[in-house]
Amino acid sequence: MSDMKENLILEHRLSAHPDSRCWFVAWSPSGSLLASCGGDKSVRIWGREGDSWVCKSILEDGHQRTVRKVAWSPCGNYLASASFDATTCIWKKKNDGFESLTVLEGHENEVKCVAWAPSGNLLATCSRDKSVWVWEVDEDDEYECVTVVNSHTQDVKHVVWHPNQELLASASYDNNICIYKEEDDDWECRATLQGHTSTVWGLCFDTSGERLASCSDDRTVKIWKEYPSESGQDLSWKCVCTLSGYHRRTVYDVSWCQLTAALATACGDDAVRVFKEDEGGDPNQPVFSLVAQATRAHNQDVNCVAWNPKEAGLLASCSDDGDIAIWRFKED
Amino acid sequence: MASHFSGVLQLTDLDDFITPSQECVKPVKVEKKQGKSVAKIQIEDDGSYVQVNKDGGRQKLEKAKITLNDCLACSGCITSAESVLITQQSHEELFKVLHSNKVQPCGPQKMVVVSLSPQSRASLAAHCGLSSSEAGRRLTAFFKGLGVHHVFDTGFSRTFSLLESQREFVERYKRREQDKKALPMLTSACPGWICYAEKTHGEFILPYISTTRSPQQMMGSLVKQYFAQQKGLNPQQIYHVAVMPCFDKKLEASRSDFYINKDETREVDCVITSGEVEKMLEEENVSLKDLQPSAPDSLFSSVCGEEFLSHAGSGSGGYLHHVFTFAAKQLFGEEVTELTYKTLRNKDFQEVILEKDGVVLLSFALAYGFRNIQNLVQKLKKGKSPYHFVEVMACPSGCLNGGGQVKPSSGQNPKDLLMKVEELYKAEHPLLPEEDPHIAELYQSWLHCVGEERVKELLHTQYHTVEKMTNGLTMKW
Amino acid sequence: MLSLVSFTVTKVLEFSKRDITRNVPRTKKMEEKALEVYDVIRSIRDPEKPNTLEELDVVTEKCVEVQDLGDEEYLIIIKFSPTVPHCSLATLIGLCLQVKLQRCLPFKHKLEIYIAEGTHSTEEDINKQINDKERVAAAMENPNLREIVEQCVLEPDD
Repeated sequence: MSDMKENLILEHRLSAHPDSRCWFVAWSPSGSLLASCGGDKSVRIWGREGDSWVCKSILEDGHQRTVRKVAWSPCGNYLASASFDATTCIWKKKNDGFESLTVLEGHENEVKCVAWAPSGNLLATCSRDKSVWVWEVDEDDEYECVTVVNSHTQDVKHVVWHPNQELLASASYDNNICIYKEEDDDWECRATLQGHTSTVWGLCFDTSGERLASCSDDRTVKIWKEYPSESGQDLSWKCVCTLSGYHRRTVYDVSWCQLTAALATACGDDAVRVFKEDEGGDPNQPVFSLVAQATRAHNQDVNCVAWNPKEAGLLASCSDDGDIAIWRFKED
Repeated sequence: MASHFSGVLQLTDLDDFITPSQECVKPVKVEKKQGKSVAKIQIEDDGSYVQVNKDGGRQKLEKAKITLNDCLACSGCITSAESVLITQQSHEELFKVLHSNKVQPCGPQKMVVVSLSPQSRASLAAHCGLSSSEAGRRLTAFFKGLGVHHVFDTGFSRTFSLLESQREFVERYKRREQDKKALPMLTSACPGWICYAEKTHGEFILPYISTTRSPQQMMGSLVKQYFAQQKGLNPQQIYHVAVMPCFDKKLEASRSDFYINKDETREVDCVITSGEVEKMLEEENVSLKDLQPSAPDSLFSSVCGEEFLSHAGSGSGGYLHHVFTFAAKQLFGEEVTELTYKTLRNKDFQEVILEKDGVVLLSFALAYGFRNIQNLVQKLKKGKSPYHFVEVMACPSGCLNGGGQVKPSSGQNPKDLLMKVEELYKAEHPLLPEEDPHIAELYQSWLHCVGEERVKELLHTQYHTVEKMTNGLTMKW
Repeated sequence: MLSLVSFTVTKVLEFSKRDITRNVPRTKKMEEKALEVYDVIRSIRDPEKPNTLEELDVVTEKCVEVQDLGDEEYLIIIKFSPTVPHCSLATLIGLCLQVKLQRCLPFKHKLEIYIAEGTHSTEEDINKQINDKERVAAAMENPNLREIVEQCVLEPDD
């Protein structure tokens, strides 16, 4: 264990949302900026200045309650923020800062997550109201609701898009994961992934989009793989690996590095862990090994982990203690 | 249990985690008894609740009863209304009334009236491989065979709804400058949409909604407020059943606005769906195919000889079509014979424009399904809606695809079935509302002398904002 | 023969003594922590009644368990018994427990709150909800819920 610690080196610690929680961090597509959000109802943008990280701007007055998640558009010029105030705010980059462009309303209560499709034309949101919405953006920055899908029976915690197809996945308090596709001018749930025994908090596709990692309140991480459909109708996803015994409390987030394929987790036991797939294994039964962990990564629950999309090994995490930590992951 | 309500209604379910039977958060009045403040309540094995007092005394607790009206007036959940509905409005209730008529021939008899919707006719026709009119005639025979006295057609009362909508639109159009909420006029025939509007967008949206009654409730007026009188009956002596393509219609019939206080009766006592009629046929071991058809009850039916008539336009009543052609003529002197529907974002969002010399005179739209309702409401809120009139329906594809329609048989593709139902519905000849002599006569004989206020009561209705729940004790989080 | 017996006895005694000396301080420390926790929650008021949770037997000293997680961090497990087995107030009580402990406990901890087995008809659902920190955080931003919780967790002598 001790040598593993050396694989994950703390580079910076920022008091990002003091006296509050930091719920989520997201790297800009270029990897140069980090957006964070939290219980102080604000979104903050962080950038590197010389050797340190500084707050470049604060996006306030967009929300009345906690900002739960934040997402960058693929072009990097827009930010979307999802809030407990039942709205999603779209921000546009202007000069040095961001200005509020529009507010998406419609969810009955807390919006838990927002995600931009790789094309940049579609946006997905989900809420405690059990629904998943897809919005379409036109050239005039107008947003219209394309679909409202009610495939979950409970609070929907997370939505994530497939990296190169118009395929959407959602995770819920109902312990299930749903995968949606557009069919005949409406979106439909085409697969329900059952296996977790408690709330599924986070999801992440790998670079190819053939595999999906999920993390849960059941203290496990599962890897799901897409298989050619037998019936030809529904999509077929099977759980090929379960990481259990590593996490001592709820796993709140999972992030699959698009550059190194390392899998990082954020856990309610205050730790950040990194797993790697064993080489030469059976793709239908992959084995993942713990290669690094920071057991006291934060003073409280770790809520989110995010790999930098351009700089291999650069990992950001954030916590209920209000801090952001920036880590350097080094492979042996 | 899966909910039968339209998707829109299921979405207004604001809470989320307790199972349906425990879902209700409506505070119930409880008789407070002195000196029993500290007591424990236990759950027995049979699921009943027993209060154990400090002195060890035990007392079985009564279950609180929630009426459908409690549910409608509450912004909590909606799904629990379903179990209430099932006990109050079901085909079993109709059987009960018919049975009691039969076993007590000398007892208090109820006149039983069934009002059949054209959409249900088409659904059952598709199910049995008949034409819509043929299904109508055979359903008439089926109900009469069970002891039903009259079988009417809500296509008939829909003519009233269309005429009133046309007038209301022109009147709203004329005051659009003074009244910012006169337009767009949003249709009111879909109870799922109305319930959603009242619970979620209340004060903001309600002024836009047409006050014209839906065909079901027009028929309610006609049967309980006119027909009863004609027959020398107290409205209570009539049991009025509507057969509808939609489960939400049960909610509509239960609205207090459609309860005749002085006679202590509802204008529509019971709503059963097309699917429930199919179940009745099964239970009675009857196939529509084998039944001898009966002539339509022409008193309140749109017929030409033995053939049922319909209305032009959408399968949801053709509101857009009729209001559009009427307004084009009344307001601009334009005779429109064919409407061009332009599909916008999806097939459930279409628009129809009247243009003259490059100027848009009328801009109408159809918005079906929750996603399109959402965009409409959001556009209205942002002041960006370009429409004068919108036909709003909660179900994708509208009423022919209602949640109460007969389900596809095993192996049958739902889309193919819907296409068949649409085809059968459209095969009935359309009737021009303005040209129905029977309706014109009723305006004269029934409505002419009752006064303007009363006509408004009989043909129109009102909507009520449901206040958001603010009681932290009963709030779901 | 006799010496053998006495030898065995002393061995047993030694063993048990060693057991005790190793465990006692720890158990005692956990008991102290549990009492400390109980002291925080006993005075929480019932959302509906004028009584405290202690007066209503919703919480008792026995319902708090503390485990050592190492590094001066403790796991607190609370099992409370709502007075009414079906009401929505059980989630509110859970909320009050969460909020008050989060604010008042002076030591680092992880918290798990459950309904005592057999005291509520929807035990599992409630347990899941009151231990979902996101739901708890959102509930506390709802002014109506917050008002009630604040009243319940207000110290009587404040």
